[in-house]
Amino acid sequence: MTIAPADRDATPDEAGRAATVSAGAVGPPPPFDVELAAGLEAFGFSVDAPFSAEDLLTQTRSGAALFTVPDEVLTGNGAFAVEDRLVPGPPGAPEVSLLISRPAKDAAAPAAADRLLPAVYFMHGGGMIIGNNRLGISEIQEWSRELGGLVGISVEYRLAPENPHPAPVEDCYAGLLWTVEHADELGIDPNRIVIAGTSAGGGLCAAVALLARDRGGPTVAGQLLMCPMLDDRNDTVSAVQMAGRGVWDRAANEVGWRSLLGDLRGGPDVSPYAAPARAEDLSNLPPAFVDVGSAETFRDEDVAYASRIWRAGGQAELHVWPGGFHGFDGLAPHATLSRQARAARLAWLRRIIAD
Amino acid sequence: MKELAGRLVALDPDAAAAVRVIAYFDRLVEGRAGLETIVRGAAVLSGCPARLDDASRHIHLEVDSEGTRRDRPTPPRPEWMRAPVVPGADSTLWLERAGPPNAVDAMVLERAAAAARGALERTSGRTRPSGPADGPAAVEVLIDGSLPESVRVRAAAQLGLGAASRARAIALEDGKAVIRAVAEAADEDPTAGDLREGGRRAGIGPAVAVADLPSSWAAAQTALRLTAEGTARDPGPRVVHADDLGGLAVLASAVGPDTRPVPDVLALERAAQAAGWMLQTLDAVAASPSMRAAAAALTMHHSTLQDRFAQAERLLGWSLHDPQGRLRLQLALALRRLHRNPPGHRPG
Repeated sequence: MTIAPADRDATPDEAGRAATVSAGAVGPPPPFDVELAAGLEAFGFSVDAPFSAEDLLTQTRSGAALFTVPDEVLTGNGAFAVEDRLVPGPPGAPEVSLLISRPAKDAAAPAAADRLLPAVYFMHGGGMIIGNNRLGISEIQEWSRELGGLVGISVEYRLAPENPHPAPVEDCYAGLLWTVEHADELGIDPNRIVIAGTSAGGGLCAAVALLARDRGGPTVAGQLLMCPMLDDRNDTVSAVQMAGRGVWDRAANEVGWRSLLGDLRGGPDVSPYAAPARAEDLSNLPPAFVDVGSAETFRDEDVAYASRIWRAGGQAELHVWPGGFHGFDGLAPHATLSRQARAARLAWLRRIIAD
Repeated sequence: MKELAGRLVALDPDAAAAVRVIAYFDRLVEGRAGLETIVRGAAVLSGCPARLDDASRHIHLEVDSEGTRRDRPTPPRPEWMRAPVVPGADSTLWLERAGPPNAVDAMVLERAAAAARGALERTSGRTRPSGPADGPAAVEVLIDGSLPESVRVRAAAQLGLGAASRARAIALEDGKAVIRAVAEAADEDPTAGDLREGGRRAGIGPAVAVADLPSSWAAAQTALRLTAEGTARDPGPRVVHADDLGGLAVLASAVGPDTRPVPDVLALERAAQAAGWMLQTLDAVAASPSMRAAAAALTMHHSTLQDRFAQAERLLGWSLHDPQGRLRLQLALALRRLHRNPPGHRPG
């Protein structure tokens, strides 16, 4: 372990780490919730064998079944109208593809619609190195069903290592700018846009919120950070404790961060727009929702992030689901814990953007 | 979670998927998962709704194919796949799809039932019997063969009938059902007298174990079809015991609403048109051991009956003096009642 000893004068940046270490010796990993673990194994994953680096960069990336979303799923069997839009990318970079989903009944002439819909601007997961903008769209559509209709926009950001930082986050930010600028055309209420992301997408989402604040960009209604990947240092208690456990352990996380940052990973010069845990200032951010499992690598960096938002005077809602592994509600969606996790997100969204 | 079920089948159409099912339930058992979690596992792994019934513990639990628990119980279908949770007891795990089970279904049924058995054994000390308010203890449940035995036995318990008791289903003329417990020592059925005094037409089913009441009910309904008003136009018994029907039960099943009457029945109707006394007289003749007894039953002189008899034979076209002719008469009378009381019809 390479964890610094407790330091009462730790900078805010170090507080999460230091506090956990000072609480005493690190025990064994918290047990997985039993229903979640059973679901994980039924998928053919082992709870004791996370993705290897080879898995991540070869087979999972080559379009394995788990990462493919067929068209009929994408449209919710016709309940949603889905289109791809190519929009301007960051300065000097290629265009960015946005997947735009709206309720089929609201699809005709959105600009002329008599009601403006709230929107969720979404960044998919995949450790910065895999995935596509179809992943996760079904949960956004579920929110749409539950909240009386919303527009979902999922951004196809460039992936590392071919496109290291800042390509992914700048793509996400460019897509958000276009979305806000074209809110009218899209039939979106610009005051009710939430940005959201899962895992690596959660990290990108937090970074987009920082960028928007620091560049005087659009003000969004909230940031929904689902088990976000925030800290390139990859050395929290939970990262160490959960090594070799779950689907995304410390070794897999190392592959992701190194792909994004190369040799800068873990060093002194990492931008907060790459790893939001590095941000010195977490004030003046949109209200945050953070959730994470107690049995996953990201537990402590996510708890620390929420704590630091409070410390800076901001608003955050934090859920740590006991026995949850990384991405548990996607891999075992039927389980009780997964249902409760989704219900908590929906309740937050309802408060933030519903009529 | 249909995605999971879909992927299980897509990735492993046969044996390997079954192995994953085993791993799933092993994990639940290891973690001492509760019944709902187990039933939900059965539902999501098979891709169809699942349910668990345990009559003695008053457990009824339904989960849809997405893994969501249903608030209200729904009636089961007899063709669904199922497995006993506790062999020989009233505990059943169901998959709500007609069989035959594929490899995954079969494994889900077996492993989920085994897991549920463990959970029941672990928690049985915590369950307590619930009172009649627990569910609709309606008689209809006891006689509905489409419901699982466990549900019927539970309903019987709420009516004070233990699983080991014997009872009869009684079909009344207004379509209602009555369940009567049968005292073990009693040879006589005490209910028959009550019903006669009450004057209601009734078909009385055989005494059966509580779980077999649907069959007693079916027989009682058949017996009810062979009852009559007991009037001149519709003479015959107002109460009929299914136990006494013999081959008439087979005859009853052959007469539906659209069955055309055989010529003997038409002849009987023609004879009835010719004389108001005809049906009652023929019924008495058919029901009595001798002409003399029939005359006594009709309170008429023997010779008067002889005259009517000759007239009836002419109108019917067959002899009533030989056993074969008397059988024809009995069958014609029975068929006439069956036509008057088709299945599902409420006599009276």
